[in-house]
Amino acid sequence: MKSTAILGMAAVLLSASLAGCGSSPSTAPSAKSIKDITIGTLYAKSGAFATSSMPEYSGLTFWASQINKTGGVYVKALHKKVPVKIVAYNDQSSATTATTLYSQLITVNHVNILVADFGSVLTSVAVPIAQEKKMLLFDQTGTGASFFTPSNPYIVLTSLPTSGLWPTSLAQYLIHKGYSRIAIVYATNDFDQSQDQTLVSKLKAAHITPVYNNGVPTSTSSYSVLLNNMSHTNPQAVIELGYPNNDIAFLQALKASGDHFNMVFTIFPGQLPQLFVSSVGPSSINNTYTYPAPPLLTFSHVNYGLNTAQFDLAFKKATGQSTNFLSIAGYNTGLIIQKTLSTANSLNQLSLRHAVSRFSGSLSTLDGTFKIDSKGAQIGETLPVGKITTNSKGRVSVQFVTSPNS
Amino acid sequence: MFTYSLVSGILFGIFFGFMALGLNLIFGVMEMVNLAHGDFVVLGGYVAIMALTSLHINPVVSLVIALVLFFLVGLGLFFPLIPRLSNSRDPEMLSLILFFGLSQVLEALMVIKFGVNPESLPLSVFGNSSWHFLGQSYQIAWIVTALVSLVMITLTYVFLYYTSLGRAVRAVMGNREEALASGLPVKRTSAIIFAIGIGLAAMSGVLSPLMIGSLDPTSGLGLTTIAFAIVVIGSLGNPLGSVVGGLVYGVSLMLMQTYLSSWSVLVPYLLLLIIVLVKPSGLLGKGVRHA
Repeated sequence: MKSTAILGMAAVLLSASLAGCGSSPSTAPSAKSIKDITIGTLYAKSGAFATSSMPEYSGLTFWASQINKTGGVYVKALHKKVPVKIVAYNDQSSATTATTLYSQLITVNHVNILVADFGSVLTSVAVPIAQEKKMLLFDQTGTGASFFTPSNPYIVLTSLPTSGLWPTSLAQYLIHKGYSRIAIVYATNDFDQSQDQTLVSKLKAAHITPVYNNGVPTSTSSYSVLLNNMSHTNPQAVIELGYPNNDIAFLQALKASGDHFNMVFTIFPGQLPQLFVSSVGPSSINNTYTYPAPPLLTFSHVNYGLNTAQFDLAFKKATGQSTNFLSIAGYNTGLIIQKTLSTANSLNQLSLRHAVSRFSGSLSTLDGTFKIDSKGAQIGETLPVGKITTNSKGRVSVQFVTSPNS
Repeated sequence: MFTYSLVSGILFGIFFGFMALGLNLIFGVMEMVNLAHGDFVVLGGYVAIMALTSLHINPVVSLVIALVLFFLVGLGLFFPLIPRLSNSRDPEMLSLILFFGLSQVLEALMVIKFGVNPESLPLSVFGNSSWHFLGQSYQIAWIVTALVSLVMITLTYVFLYYTSLGRAVRAVMGNREEALASGLPVKRTSAIIFAIGIGLAAMSGVLSPLMIGSLDPTSGLGLTTIAFAIVVIGSLGNPLGSVVGGLVYGVSLMLMQTYLSSWSVLVPYLLLLIIVLVKPSGLLGKGVRHA
């Protein structure tokens, strides 16, 4: 049985690698052969990233269903509208599984468009594969600064600024408030590490050296001892940089410890407020700070796609789910793909990339201004810092303490 | 910081020792590694969370509910699965496959039932007071968890050493064939120990959100890894080894979190490696088990 399984696995891998020896994805498929535009992506139905990946995937599929209702997406290279078909696999939050599945999407499914799963961990394995296969990667929320290099034209970050930019507003606020004793704990992954590096360098430029700055594994679920160690340094501000599960565990430990600091900052309550209300209770996030993202942050000037209120209504009607930032991020990725296809002269992957560069800076969606730099990193959307207020019924509101870029 | 880490490590270690106890009992009697152990811990956690949020039942009551409920689940699983497995040509290897499959099924069922979001118990469930010791204060939930764990470990010890069924269990642990030849009811003993092992896993699960933060349906695999490491560190098949293994793991983890936090995830694997290289039979082991 074991040997059969191994032979089966070997056959799948062999067929995948042989398929990869065929036509290069950078070659445009012939116009006549295209009956639909296939978008290949992954989602995590279980595991550490499921809470974020599933709403993001829902947002993308919502966009696809909306565009198909109008007869499909307009493809300039074909001079016609073509239905969109999403080919998706469950990576179960495993980067190892994702590696195989990304390759499968390119070499077996021959998708026209490749979209990464949520976050830096599951995107990190897609970046080298896409580059090697010369396939443009629409990176939704994988913001790790190391993904974007001058030598790789095959990546575009769609729905968040690169993580190296995130702490700009946070550092400004900390410096403005005159906090000199700052404690930072971060998860050791591209997303959080690059934020830590930026934050520390900006603080040091203002002659502030954090009193505590340590990394923890992304799988950390108990922060009690770490919090105790941080409180021994008498910090005025405590910053925790992690993924949703880290933030939840941290806030739970903080509540249980009874420790009080002038400022407590975590990342994801601003993106997934209802998850935090249900997981740690409204009181645990009350008066803490975060990066408010849409729909807590709304943009008045939207020139492409639905605005926040329209999306909220339509998304709830179509899926029965509440809107959160990640469903907006998935929908926004769909909009970027839509604009790319409607402006690219060919379906060649580099042609798609050039099309993105051409409309960069001119597109305002419900997620803000879409603008990328020469490396494909998002620089148009900025994240302000906000202070969360909750009431006993779990209603979350945010008071911006740095200026939102609206 | 050292004192706090050390005391926290001891409290966590006692809990982790309790969490690994069921795995060790089942291995000791049946020489099978229950790879679904962590999933039963998670299920116990969900029992406590549901009981508190839906029925306002205190986790202390949920401890009893989980023990009884999963004792029965253990009995229900034993008879259709384990005797067949025991009669196979390679029960130890096949048990890995069977329990891995069971783990996957339980995980999938939990995703369907509870969703993918992490769930937890409020750490103030036993009150907001703290325990002050050596100039440091510790959460009361940790103290209650460690005390319950100690009580359950002691009761298991008493059961094994001071009851006739416990003596039968130890006889089977010592040599299954000799126990059979002596006329001991090996199958019945195995069934009871399997059910107790599952029950203890679920019982520790009730307390687990208070120690490890939160649970989601995929937490089981990580918990099985930790429990397995603890059992190997202490000694496979020796219930007291779980306590020693738990303490070594808990203290190492907390000291690592304090002084080398980025590397703390490596603790169970490093300890496992060191023990396998230095003392393969475990800290309380008397010799290498030839399975």
